[in-house]
Order: sequence, then structure tokens, then C-alpha cells
Amino acid sequence: MTTYVLRRVVLMLPVAFLVTVGVFMLIHLSPGDPALIVLGEDRSPQAIAQVHAELGLDKPLYAQYLIWVNRIVHGDWGRSITTDEPVASAITERLPATLELGIAALLWSLLVAIPLGTIAAVRRGSVVDRLATGITVAGVSVPNFFIGIVLIFVLSVSARIFPFGGYVPFTQDPLESLRHVALPAIALGTAGTAINMRFTRSSMIEVLNNDYIRTARAKGASWRRVVFIHALKNALIPVVTIVGLQIGGIIEGAVVTETVFTWPGVGRLAVESIFNRDYTVVQGVVLVAAFSYMLANLLVDLVYGWLDPRISYA
Amino acid sequence: MRRVGLWLTLFVLLAACGGGGGGSQTSGTPKHGGTATVALESELRTLDPMDSSLLVEREVFYNIYDSLFTIDPSLTIKSGLVKQWDTSDPLNYKFTLQSGVKYQDGTPFNGASVKANIERYKTGATSRRKSDLASVKTVEVTDDTHVIFHLSKPNATLLATLVDRAGMMLSIDAVTKGGKDFSLTPVGAGSGPFAFVEWKRNDHLTLKKNPDYWKAGLPYLDGVTYRAIPDVNAILAALKTGDVDIARVIAPKDVASLKADSNFIYKDTPAIGFSGFELNAGAPPFNDPAKRQAVAMAIDRYSILKNINFNIGVVAYGPIPPSSWAFDASEKIFDHADPAKAKATATGFSFTFKTTSDPVNQQLAQLLQSELAAAGITMQIQTEEFATYQQECAAHKFEACGVNWSGRIDPDGNMYAWWHTGGDFNDSMYSNAQVDAWLEDARTSADQAKRKQDYISAQKQIVQDAPYVFTNFGVSAQISNTKIHGFTLYPDLMIRMAEVWKG
Repeated sequence: MTTYVLRRVVLMLPVAFLVTVGVFMLIHLSPGDPALIVLGEDRSPQAIAQVHAELGLDKPLYAQYLIWVNRIVHGDWGRSITTDEPVASAITERLPATLELGIAALLWSLLVAIPLGTIAAVRRGSVVDRLATGITVAGVSVPNFFIGIVLIFVLSVSARIFPFGGYVPFTQDPLESLRHVALPAIALGTAGTAINMRFTRSSMIEVLNNDYIRTARAKGASWRRVVFIHALKNALIPVVTIVGLQIGGIIEGAVVTETVFTWPGVGRLAVESIFNRDYTVVQGVVLVAAFSYMLANLLVDLVYGWLDPRISYA
Repeated sequence: MRRVGLWLTLFVLLAACGGGGGGSQTSGTPKHGGTATVALESELRTLDPMDSSLLVEREVFYNIYDSLFTIDPSLTIKSGLVKQWDTSDPLNYKFTLQSGVKYQDGTPFNGASVKANIERYKTGATSRRKSDLASVKTVEVTDDTHVIFHLSKPNATLLATLVDRAGMMLSIDAVTKGGKDFSLTPVGAGSGPFAFVEWKRNDHLTLKKNPDYWKAGLPYLDGVTYRAIPDVNAILAALKTGDVDIARVIAPKDVASLKADSNFIYKDTPAIGFSGFELNAGAPPFNDPAKRQAVAMAIDRYSILKNINFNIGVVAYGPIPPSSWAFDASEKIFDHADPAKAKATATGFSFTFKTTSDPVNQQLAQLLQSELAAAGITMQIQTEEFATYQQECAAHKFEACGVNWSGRIDPDGNMYAWWHTGGDFNDSMYSNAQVDAWLEDARTSADQAKRKQDYISAQKQIVQDAPYVFTNFGVSAQISNTKIHGFTLYPDLMIRMAEVWKG
């Protein structure tokens, strides 16, 4: 088990290397000059040259990459080109906001999806099933920024039930924090809700057709016990896979939602850094996103073993 | 209620009349206490005037730091940390400083501090103020309250430059203590009405009242919070939910409905920046002056003002705004659209207009396209992501490019860099020896009447040659809820909070 985990972690390094090389090339190949962004209306040839020299942008591309890798290996993530903020603190400062949003969105999607998916599977073809299917199709089809804008308009601007944007850390004021996170979490989690519900439903249907379910029923177990104890645990294996991918994709998914809700998280940091050609920050965020994706995958594989003892990594 | 309605009607009428020359809104006796939240349309990058290059940064700075000079709403230079000044010798400016002023960290403001600040701006490795202060050779400290600025060449724009970041005075002690992170946490560095408390990037920036502010009785507010909201629709939403009290901009389309809402105040005055687009005189097709003029004749500025800006602002006939002392009301070389005259000048050619994906920019491009079509000119729209568009326009890789200017207090700042041969903002590669001579003369001449004549002559020539097609001047606006009082509108778009109070 430990060797398995260690091997997986070591294998992450080459993947991270390839990802950062790819991103480094892409962002440097795209037109635009961070010096112009930094200088704005103060641009002059001398000032541009000064900024290029300050940032090392006058060096060849491979040298810039090697300098960056050398720094990362030594634990120095560098400083933001446009804000001069240390990249590591820029990311760690925003990570709690993104995690809170991501976890809230995930909880929202699971709390709705698993019960609904189970009911839909048990009562196949019923009104509940059709309604749930209809809602999920809508949930997947409507982009989350649109859901966000509608929620802002209806529940924040018109009804004034929820505040608009702004982040209150959970540790500071739990209740206020939940009020602030509610709308972005619903906007971000709705697409996941739909997918998770579909997976729960189809997997549940499959499991309910298994022989052991019939055996359990024949032995006299109640229908409720069969569904929630015998069937649900096994039905959740594919759901765990998909949820794992969703956890890994929290940063990626938050990119749009955080922008719409002016949520001070890593997603918005990524968007702003790309637009500002803030190479060091983009590289840092990509590295964190890549590792969180890979870690989530590893976690999923480990959870399989817990859900289904037949799966072993020894 | 009826009274509120009457006042509101008066407000709307006043605003509809163009606002006039700024001025403050006072109703009742100012109250001390309370805090106000101000929306910023983008996040700041630095809190150090030395490496600042953003408008939103300047706005915050004006409330933390004091400059050597200030302006009034008519853009006249007024005393700031400099109490009196003698500029009769164009190479040696003598300044008398305010006495008894202390920075928020308790260190005194004096002649030595002025010298240290100017030297820091002139030599700092990451300083963006070097070109602002290029004409200042040295600062001589006579005593605590007297300094002499020795200039390497006459510079009539220096006092206006010292209103802005190059003239902002910081406690050098605080700068040294702040070290590498000074630009993120400038604790106690200013002498202004408010002091830095906390900056949580992408969330909020908090300032608190400076209880020892040298202007007695000010400020009224206990604190100011800034929130960066990089979307005009989101700013409006935040105003309506009460999350922010004051904003500088909302989308022009929303101004009418906000004016009609009795919970809000909207007032504006012409600002100092200009809007329009550059035509590249260094490459075909616009190396032919007739083609540039044809474009300038064919576009309908009034239609742009009405349809794109919802009549917020005024039509521009050149780079010098109505709020400036150098404004020439008689210059209207290109006024109403004249497709027939444009056709007679040059027609049957096509060009590409570069712009960004911003919806308002897109609408403008489409409007220009249809107006030019009436004169037989084909305009293709090329939409680019901001960083790409910005780089290509600066590198002269364009035929036409929509670029606006936020404006400077002195007319020099609205012209020299743009149209002097080789100027930093001369993306159009425009070059005219006579224009260069006027701009240089105006820069070095101490006589304001002569300077005005130079600018008027240069403006006429530039507009006639059309390396840039002027469309309109924007506005500086008060956009707030009705709890906000004592707000003074300045054409330079800066929101100065010292005299603002909450009722």
C-alpha cells in the first residue's frame, strides 16, 4: 500500500514537468507583453526595457524556464510580474476561498444528487424519475456563468436574500460565510449535481439487478435496508470516480464562477494572470492545479479499495 | 417624499445640462464618523507611487498620501504640501513648505524629506517616475521649510506633474521599514487624510482616519474600504445591494435608470481624457493623409455619443478637453458626418480596425463600419484579446486601432507623447516638424498665454492631419447612494475622500 502510494507520487513529477513545459511554451508563444501591461499609460521604450531586464524577459526562453525550475526546486515560487506579490502567498492566500467554494459546491451537488439519483433508480419511470432527469438535463446544459448571473439577479439584486460577491472566511463568521458562499456554490455545483445524479441513477439500476440484491430480499431484508445498505455502497463506486475528477477540477471549474461572483480564489487569480501575461503566477497556479488533479485521482483509487474490499493495491 | 422628488428632479436637470465645472454637493452640516465603501473597476498592483501605473492606484494614493501640489475642480494648481512657490526663474523653482506636518508614522515632513522622495523617484530601480522627473536635476534643501528644484531645462508642466504621483511625499522611514513588501503594506507612510490598514488583494483594501491630519477637522469618515469589482454590471449590482456606497463608473446604458432612482445620486462633469482611434500614418493605406481625413469626415461623432455613450460626455474636436485652460471652443474642423465630402476626398479603399472583445467596443466598431460604408470606405473589424491588441498597437502593427487616453492635468500630457515625432504614445508614427516645434515651445515657455496659442496651433494641425480621429470626451462622475455628502467632482477622475461625509 505505502509503496503503491509512493510510486504514484513519484510518477507525478514527470507529468508535472510536461504540464509546466507545455504551459510555459503556450503562454510565451501567445502575443502580448507583460511590460506593457505593467506600465499601462507610463510606457516608454526605456521603461519597457527596464521592466524586461527586471523580469529577466530579455533572456532566451529555455534560460527563463530553467531559472524558474531551479527556483521551484529550491522552494521559491518567484514573485508576480504585475503585482510583485510572492506567488506562493498569492496562491495560498486564495486557496481557502477556492476550497470553501469547491467543497460547498460538491456538498450541494452530492446532497441533491445521491438521494435524487437513488429515488429515480428505485422508482424508474415515475414522475420523480422524469422530473429528476429533466432537471439534470437542464443543469448540465445551462452554463454555470448563466446560472450565476440569474441567481445574482433574482436572489441578490431583486430579493436581496443573499449578498452579492465578497468572501467571508468560514473561520471568521461561519453563518455569514455560508450566506456568501451559497450562490456561487449553487452556480458551480449544479452541473456536477446533474452528472452525479445521472451516475447514481444508472449505477443504482445496474446494482439493483444483481443476484445478491435478490438474495438479500429473499433473506427477508427490508427494501429500505437493501437499497441503502446493500446497494448504495456498491452503486457509489462510479460516482466516486466522477466526484474525484470533480475535486481535481475545483480550480478549473471555479475559474468562471469566481469571475462572475468576484470571489477571491485561485480561479480568478488564474484568469487575471493569463490576461495580464503574469507568467510566474500562471506557472504556479498550473502547477498547483496539476498536482491537485493527480492527488484527487490517487485519492479516488484509494477510496475504491475502501468501498470494495476486492480491490487491493498490496 | 415630494421634497426628495423635487431635489432629484433638480439634480437630473443639472446633470442633463452637462454638469458644469464640478463643484461640491453640500447639504447640511458635515457629520463625523461612519465608513464608506468605494468600488474600484480593477484591482491595484501596488500601493507605492514609485512603481504605480494604474488609475485606480492614483485614486487610492490621493487619500493616503499628500502631493506637493493639488488642483481645484477647474484644474488650477493649488498649494499642497508646498505652501507658496516662486517659478519666476525657469531653471530654479523655489518652494516654501507647510510647516508642522507629520507623516502617519510620526516622522516629520520637511525639506530633507522632499529631497529624499524626489531622489527615490529619480533613481529607484523599479521607478516609473523617472520620465516624469527627467527635467529635475537636483533638489536643494535650504532649511526645513524651503527647497529649490534645480531644473536641467525649463519645464512648464512640472507643477502639474507634482500634483500626481511624482509629487507624492512618503515617510522614508516607513519605506525603509517596509522593505521589499512596502508596496503591499505601506503602514504609516503618508501624511494624507487616511492611513493604510490592510490590503487583501481581490477582496478589500481598508484605510482608517488619520486623527492627526494637518488639515484641521478633516477627514469626516472613520475609514474607507475599497473593493475591486472588475465588471461594470457587477459594480451596479453592488451599488444596488448597498455593498458599495460610491463608484466611479457604471455602464453608460445604466446611467438613465440610476438617475431616475431616488436612492442614488448621479452627477458628472467632462473629464480630461479623450476617446477615438489611431490611424497608422506610417503604413498603407493611411500613409495617404487624404484617406485619414476621409475617415475623420465620414464618422458621425454625435451618433457615437448618443448610441454608444448614451449621451454621457461631449463630442471631441481635438485632444484638449473643455475643462482645460487651453481649450479652443472655436475649433471644429471635423464636426458632423459628411459622407459626400469624405467621398470627394478619398473613397473606395479598405482597412482593418483593431479592437477588443468588450461589448461596447464591439458596438462602436460596428457603428463606425456602417458610417464609413456610406462614404464608400470598407472597414474590417479585427477583435483581439487585450494583451495582444495592446502590444500590436504599440508596435505600430495596425491600420486603425481604438485607443483612449485617461488624460493629464496639463495639455502637454494630452499631446506631446502622442504626436511629437517619436513620442512614447505615437503609435500612428505621425511626424510634423511644425507640430514638434509648437509642442516643445509650449513645454518650455513660462507664459501661459503663449502656451495656449502653441497648443491651439498644434491641435489644429494634428486634427487636420488626422493621425487620430477624436470622437468624444468622457465624464468624471459622482455615482453614489444618497447617504454620501460633501463629494467634490474633479475632472481628473480621482475621488478625494477627505471632505466626504455620511448622513
